[in-house]
Amino acid sequence: MSTQEQKRRIELLQGTLDLLILRTLLLGPAHGHAIARAIELRSDDVLQVEQGSLYPALHRLIKRGWISVVEGVSENNRRAKFYRLTPKGRRQLTLETGKWHKLAGAIARILRPSEQEGKP
Amino acid sequence: MRRRERMLAGLDEEIRQHIETEIEDSIARGMTPGEARRAALRKFGNVSRVKEETRDVWTAVWLEQFWQDVRYALRTLRKSPGFTAVAAITLALAIGANTAIFSVVYAVLLRPLPFANPDRLVLVFDSNQREQDPFDGLSYADFEECREQNRAFTDVAANQEHQLTLTGVGEPTVLTTNVVTPELFSVLGVKPLAGRTFLPEDGKRGAAPVVIVSENLWRSRFGADPNLVGRSISLDKRPFTVVGIMPASFRSLLLVEHEDIWIPIVQDPMFGKWMSRAGGHWMRVIARLKPGVSLAQAQAEMNTLSARLAKEFPAENSGWSIHVEPLQESIVGFARPALLVLLGAVGLVLLIACVNIANLMLSRASARAREIAVRIALGAGRKRIIRQLLTESAVLGLVGGVIGVLLAYGGVHALSSFLPADLPRVQSIRVDARVLAFALFLSVAASFLFGLAPSIFAADSNLLTGLKEASGRAGESGGPRRARAFLAISEIALAMVLLVAAGLLLRSFTMLTSVNPGFNAEDVVKADISLPQFEYSTPQQWTSFSDALLDRLQAEPGLQNSAMVVPLPLDEGNVNLNLKIAGNPPLPPGISLTADFTSVSPGYFRVMGIPLLRGRLFTEQDSESGPRVTVISEALARRYFPGQDPTGRQLIFGFPPNGNVSREIVGIVGDVRDAALNQAPSPMMYVPFDQAPFWGGQIVVKSSLGAASVAGSIRHATHEIDKDLPVTDIETLPETLRASVSQERFRTLLLGLFGVTALLLAAVGIFGVISYSVARRTRELGIRMALGATPGRVLKLVLTESARLVLVGLVLGIIGALGLTRFLSSLLFQVHAADPLTFLGVAALLSLVALFACYVPARRAMRVDPLEALRYE
Repeated sequence: MSTQEQKRRIELLQGTLDLLILRTLLLGPAHGHAIARAIELRSDDVLQVEQGSLYPALHRLIKRGWISVVEGVSENNRRAKFYRLTPKGRRQLTLETGKWHKLAGAIARILRPSEQEGKP
Repeated sequence: MRRRERMLAGLDEEIRQHIETEIEDSIARGMTPGEARRAALRKFGNVSRVKEETRDVWTAVWLEQFWQDVRYALRTLRKSPGFTAVAAITLALAIGANTAIFSVVYAVLLRPLPFANPDRLVLVFDSNQREQDPFDGLSYADFEECREQNRAFTDVAANQEHQLTLTGVGEPTVLTTNVVTPELFSVLGVKPLAGRTFLPEDGKRGAAPVVIVSENLWRSRFGADPNLVGRSISLDKRPFTVVGIMPASFRSLLLVEHEDIWIPIVQDPMFGKWMSRAGGHWMRVIARLKPGVSLAQAQAEMNTLSARLAKEFPAENSGWSIHVEPLQESIVGFARPALLVLLGAVGLVLLIACVNIANLMLSRASARAREIAVRIALGAGRKRIIRQLLTESAVLGLVGGVIGVLLAYGGVHALSSFLPADLPRVQSIRVDARVLAFALFLSVAASFLFGLAPSIFAADSNLLTGLKEASGRAGESGGPRRARAFLAISEIALAMVLLVAAGLLLRSFTMLTSVNPGFNAEDVVKADISLPQFEYSTPQQWTSFSDALLDRLQAEPGLQNSAMVVPLPLDEGNVNLNLKIAGNPPLPPGISLTADFTSVSPGYFRVMGIPLLRGRLFTEQDSESGPRVTVISEALARRYFPGQDPTGRQLIFGFPPNGNVSREIVGIVGDVRDAALNQAPSPMMYVPFDQAPFWGGQIVVKSSLGAASVAGSIRHATHEIDKDLPVTDIETLPETLRASVSQERFRTLLLGLFGVTALLLAAVGIFGVISYSVARRTRELGIRMALGATPGRVLKLVLTESARLVLVGLVLGIIGALGLTRFLSSLLFQVHAADPLTFLGVAALLSLVALFACYVPARRAMRVDPLEALRYE
């Protein structure tokens, strides 16, 4: 990974990882590595997730009851833990996504003030 | 906990698989296996931290880490028993002393009075603007006015102390009697153990005599007789019916001594005399404020009442005003300054102990720099290190606290045996839950105090220096060195403050005990004799008893020098009376002359060695039938007859109710400090006992026969006259003198003890700092000596360093002491709070001790072998 590549990547905001995990699991149950890959792929490698940090986050979500664990078999035929969104988690995702859009919109407006104010 | 195990099971495997999968993916994308592994690990991050963080999700992390820290701390402390012992013992002594003193302060000053809603209780007292001690009781007449004319109190009660003699149950005994109006028990809100308290009818004149007995007396005298209530007992040879028993926990707290019995005030032999308006200000009045009525409102009402009384009865009431004060304050207020000074002083001792331990910890932290550096290198965060070191101090603090509490138990025991008897509520001093909570608080606070700085320095220590320093020779970084110097300086300063306080009290106490009381106590024995007043009811009986007793004593060889006196100076208080000088123009209203009154038999002045300055002393001719005479003290002559010869003049005064008796001044004697050794001699007027007799008094005998034999003779002579008369409080006059300064002795002793402790701690502290500094500079000193420095120069070098610390400490200490000793001034006698001699003396003592403490390590520095030092790696 070159330095340039590193610059292109954005460090995750605190708490955003939880949201990304929930969003990923909306598509169906997945094991740890698959979740990590999915986040990387879907963000075109822009979001840098230290893969390890996924695990404390997963356990936090389990503790809150937003996801649950099931035993399964991975695509390369290994026994693996699959994480699945719970109904509670689904509700939380809707809530958090709404919040996120609001926040993103607000930040965008602040960062581009000239469009409104610039024209006399 | 189960869920946690289940959730975490397989975490390692899961992570391993995760990384494998990542590697496989990368290889599939064309990386070499080695590259792929490195990339996967980099992408994953720190595996062990991830595991730990995941586990932390399921744990109350701090708790787990806390236990880890505690276990680690215990292990570390066990590994250095020397350090642990010194630190724990220092701390235990300091916390023990603090806890013990706090238990006294709490019991005496803070604990609420043991009555219902004690904060609504007030003392109502009378105050005369002319007197120095504006704290008198109400006259009975004023008490009645106050009881009838107020809207502020739910109830008002008066009481007075008296002594009655119990006969018919074993040896005759003098009982401390609280003479009360029936409302006292309801005002205080207390219930009897058995029977009842007084009813309003018991307080009416002509009511049958009744008595309430204390549980202690009930047990000790009546064998806990279940049928005592309803029985009749003989007090001063008069039958009283027992109506109730009060529990041992009940004390009205207005008497210094315990109370044995309570009787209605109308049953007291003195009651008739108390009734008159001029009957003296002897009623202690307690009232309970109505709900919602403030102290200020009650006071306003009393102001109106005082003004009206002064107008209605100008002769008796002008100049007097009635005041109210919370009862607790009136009982304990006078003890507060001394106790708070003691608490402050012992707090300083704790502070010094903390500084000392901080110093030790700092030295130890430097020695442990390598261990800490390794922990940091292995990934421990700064906060984690600080927390772990603080846990270590907290464990140390608690160990010290536990030992300290054990010491406090012993200390409280030891303290109560030499507490001054006139300190209120001493019986309730004990180590209870509150005191334990205080000790716990102290331990924790102390651990923070001595633990914080060392842990911060330790956690901040540079990694490289830390690892390098392991060899123990590199120069210490500036922070800890400055901190250590700062600690040494503060120790000196704190010790200085404490020692100055101790020195001032000590000097004051020496002044006090060397002050001339005005009489010669040597070889004088005194005894109290109280005549039962129902049996001995007339003044003639009192004089004939006194004459008979003195005759018997004086007939015995070696006891000729004996006399009767009421009241004996410095024993149980003085009697201050108004007087008029015949022939002087009348005084403006509100102004009166007063002097202390003493009734004595003719031999008194010789027994006490009080010198006659002019005129004559009393003789046997100054009897009941002779002309009324008085002998005055020099102070009275100087104050009221400036530049005149008072002999031959007439003074008008008398013990109530016989207040207006004209007496010729026949002599002037030397001054006596009768109220207290620390008070200037009051003007005094003496009258012959036969012309102003009392129902007993104090017998004083000057004899070389020895106290025990004299006491035996007094008892024998008394019982020959009346076998039912108790003789009490036999002691030598020097003992009486010592007892009169027991509060002063107590605080001087304690503060002295604290001062010595502070001195020792400071010496140990500075010794530690200088030893440590010498040890660290061994190599430097070696080089200096190798380059030609003489041992003398090295000694000077080290001593200069120490002297600077000591000097700065002294200066700061003097400034601190100047600021703080003014809180002492109310406790000092003939010594100024900024007494230069004390300050100089203490500074000299402290410097000497400190320099000696430095000299020991300095000599070691002088003997450093240059070769050894250089080789020292």
